[in-house]
Amino acid sequence: MSGAFDDLTVPTLTEQLGEQGYIADRGLATTLLLALKLGKPLLLEGEVGVGKTELARTLAEMLGRDLIRLQCYEGIDTHHALYEWDYARQMLHVRSLSQAELASSDEDLFSERFLVERPLLQAVRAGEQCVLLIDEVDRADDEFEAFLLELLSEFQVTIPEMGTVKASTRPIVILTSNRTRELHDALKRRCLYTWIGFPPHERVVAIVRSRIPDVSTALADQVVSAVNRLREMELEKLPGVAETIDWTTSLEALGAQSLTEEIALDTLGAVVKDRDDLEFTTKSISDVVA
Amino acid sequence: MSSPDDIDALFVGFGNALRDAGLPIGTDDVLTFCAGMAELKVSDLLDVYWAGRACFVRRREHFPVYKIVFREYFLGENLTDEGPAKRMLRSSANAGATLEIPNTEEGLPGEINPDEVKLGYVASTTEVYRHKEFAECTDAELRQVRRLISRMRITPPKRRTHRMTRTRRSSTLDMRRMVRDTMRNLGEPGSLQFRKRKEKLRPLVLVLDVSGSMADYSRNLLQFAYSARRANARVDVYCFGTRLTRITRQLDRRDPDDAMRTAGESVFDWDGGTRIGDSLREYTREARRSRLGRGAIVVICSDGLDRGEPRALSEAMESLSRIAHRVIWVNPHRGDVEVYVPASLGMIVADPYIDEVHSGHNLASLERLANRLAKVG
Repeated sequence: MSGAFDDLTVPTLTEQLGEQGYIADRGLATTLLLALKLGKPLLLEGEVGVGKTELARTLAEMLGRDLIRLQCYEGIDTHHALYEWDYARQMLHVRSLSQAELASSDEDLFSERFLVERPLLQAVRAGEQCVLLIDEVDRADDEFEAFLLELLSEFQVTIPEMGTVKASTRPIVILTSNRTRELHDALKRRCLYTWIGFPPHERVVAIVRSRIPDVSTALADQVVSAVNRLREMELEKLPGVAETIDWTTSLEALGAQSLTEEIALDTLGAVVKDRDDLEFTTKSISDVVA
Repeated sequence: MSSPDDIDALFVGFGNALRDAGLPIGTDDVLTFCAGMAELKVSDLLDVYWAGRACFVRRREHFPVYKIVFREYFLGENLTDEGPAKRMLRSSANAGATLEIPNTEEGLPGEINPDEVKLGYVASTTEVYRHKEFAECTDAELRQVRRLISRMRITPPKRRTHRMTRTRRSSTLDMRRMVRDTMRNLGEPGSLQFRKRKEKLRPLVLVLDVSGSMADYSRNLLQFAYSARRANARVDVYCFGTRLTRITRQLDRRDPDDAMRTAGESVFDWDGGTRIGDSLREYTREARRSRLGRGAIVVICSDGLDRGEPRALSEAMESLSRIAHRVIWVNPHRGDVEVYVPASLGMIVADPYIDEVHSGHNLASLERLANRLAKVG
């Protein structure tokens, strides 16, 4: 549809992502390819730390586009997401005007030079030069979701004082959700959806190795096995791929050749991030390292 | 055979098959799918599988259903003889999603039926039932009581949010608005503007014991949960006996009796044993992982007769008290006495972590509970 992705196929996309250090499975690659070809937003759900945000980052890198990121939080509103007027500069400007100039200053005051662009407006202006990442959309309020709905279908922003800004080309949009609450179906309907789960053992090893090229296969394998055992331990916070990478990096930094109980205890903080969990795993460290 | 029309018909048929299986498929989804298939240079059936999943499925729980329908439709495998509805339920149970019925329409958040909110208490007959203990009521009376509870007005607890809103007078100036006004008056300062924190509903979580002795009381509280849910979208309801079941979705039904029946069907261990500690542990684990229950008011209804380890209960309660805003325990054995002394072992263990104990053994006490809920926010 957009033309730019005509030559892209699932295997080539997987390969290009792989070159950037992102290992995607076939389901994810197909979904992403469709999103690119059809120009639809992509909604990624999944556990914490499985690489939802990372995918957007990699994609931007791969396509040589800017990544514009909007981090959602409770209470986020249009002033944080869309645009804001620079009041202080406006005030100074008014002060500096003469009486005669004041009468005609209104248009001038609400113009480009006093406009502070926030991520969504930036993305609409940049169009296909950017990848727009709307991160953790489940944290934002319901009202904000409704607002996104409008933006994602039209890709235009109306600023009362200035008029409508419309995207000439559509940016690639990726939304992520940790699923702390169910998103509205209306928003989901606008998007292609996929769930990223914790990848199987071999793929985690491959991911770790592609992220930290210096690490030995044996160590990566040991760490991933240990993380898999941790994940079976009914912890409050399950370690994800991100924690696995962190842990391996820490071990690598300490020059560890293999994962021993001793060094595991020293670096456990990189992978277990809850006090109760830490107590529990410290006690049963021999089971983790095995 | 393989003219473009045939292929599109095949894909449209697939969409229909999915819809028959209970997935919410719209015409736009089918269009997206057909467009996607045209774009993709399909090399094998796997491409069709993944592309279809991306276009048609929007909930993780629906993946298993999709898989079954795909295999039946494209591979001609006859996997089940069960009707579509059954398959839907079984698959969602397999996915570990707590007994969701994916097909029910969700109510819009904040949707309040004005009739139900305004009704308040029904006069005359209410007085008769108000102080009669539930345990002494006949079945007909109980039905009447439940009707009354369902009409009970529950003001959902509130909390202050990060967000600000305009107000007539407060201690905080709304600088942004004032600057804006000044701008509008070409630099002339205008009147003072104020702002205050907005209020938001606090989530209310009911954890109901449905084992043996407690079953009847819990049914009443379920009714209570139902009316709370009708007045406030942020109510979560769990049942437990030996294990925890989330029944929030079942309470979405309009008719209380209908909702009660569906909820009742999805709880497997009515009248089983009680493992309070383990069940609460399960709840806290879920709440901590998902942040859903954070800052919530948690109402536990149980007599505290626990068959599990006291230690498990105490640990679970400690964890719960850290997540929840307030922990309220409804224990029918409490009665109407002024000063409450915990009697059962479970209650003694849990006591340090409980903010309030209510009895909930008659209508008057449930009313008191409803009033308290509005104030603890």
